[in-house]
Amino acid sequence: MMIVETLPSGANGSSIIFGQGGMLDSLGLVSFLADLEYRLSQEFDRSVVLASEQAMSRSRSPFRDVSALADHVTELLEK
Amino acid sequence: MNRPRVMLITGTSRGIGLGLARHYLARGDRVLGCSRAPSAIRHAGYTHFELDVSSEPAVTDMVRAAVQKHGRIDALLNNAGIASMNPALLSPAKTAQSIFATNFYGTFLFSREVAKAMVRRGQGRIVNFTTVATPLRLEGESLYAASKAAVESFTEILARELGSTGVTVNAVGPTPVETDLIRFVPKAKMKALLSRQAIRRFGEIGDIINVVDFFLLPQSGFVTGQVIYLGGVNG
Repeated sequence: MMIVETLPSGANGSSIIFGQGGMLDSLGLVSFLADLEYRLSQEFDRSVVLASEQAMSRSRSPFRDVSALADHVTELLEK
Repeated sequence: MNRPRVMLITGTSRGIGLGLARHYLARGDRVLGCSRAPSAIRHAGYTHFELDVSSEPAVTDMVRAAVQKHGRIDALLNNAGIASMNPALLSPAKTAQSIFATNFYGTFLFSREVAKAMVRRGQGRIVNFTTVATPLRLEGESLYAASKAAVESFTEILARELGSTGVTVNAVGPTPVETDLIRFVPKAKMKALLSRQAIRRFGEIGDIINVVDFFLLPQSGFVTGQVIYLGGVNG
């Protein structure tokens, strides 16, 4: 699927997604997050917006690495 | 025959939006429409959502439902808009908030959510709606024109951000059309406005559809970030 194709198969929790040394450029990040939102909304049958105000105002970006993104998604889904 | 397109049109309860929805339904397209009010359209190809276009949860839910139902959205027409004809010094703050909420924030929200689905497919057309009131700098329409100026800037920059994705973003700027939106504008003011156009008549729904159809053409994939005004008005 697209997410697997977007992130290298060897990606782990500390893999940097976006920013210095990141795997994706800004367009890649947009495509990746759009795809992830879609898959989450399908899986959990609800609308998901990853770029929430809370997320974007954090000093540590939730899109910086896989681990931060996983925490962010978990937090969103637990709301 | 080509398969029907899936069109999402905002503000379909009346005026230009209603005309657009009827036009594309008559062509055999599938139309998803929305407005605060119920819809007068009864058609097998039409699905209506009652919502406020400036409500983020309502917009995200509608777009998700649309993608679930049809698997894609081929075109988004951000038509929903409200106007207020008052001198700036006599305009309540609440009016400014309402105009920007519907005209700009609604356009932003639908563009953001629908573009996500379009980017995933690598194709799509977004058409935003502006007005000749913006380039004409019409007195008495500062809030309306400013909200549409925001729509124009957003159109031009979003077009660049999506430039390599196969999704185009353009805008059409109609002249006044005889709809509810200008019902309370004095006739003398309308006449003065029309006199500033190269072609001095009211616009018709067909004039707008013509420009929208051009943006939607498969051959228009190299046309993005453009604002086309009707009636011979220049930006």
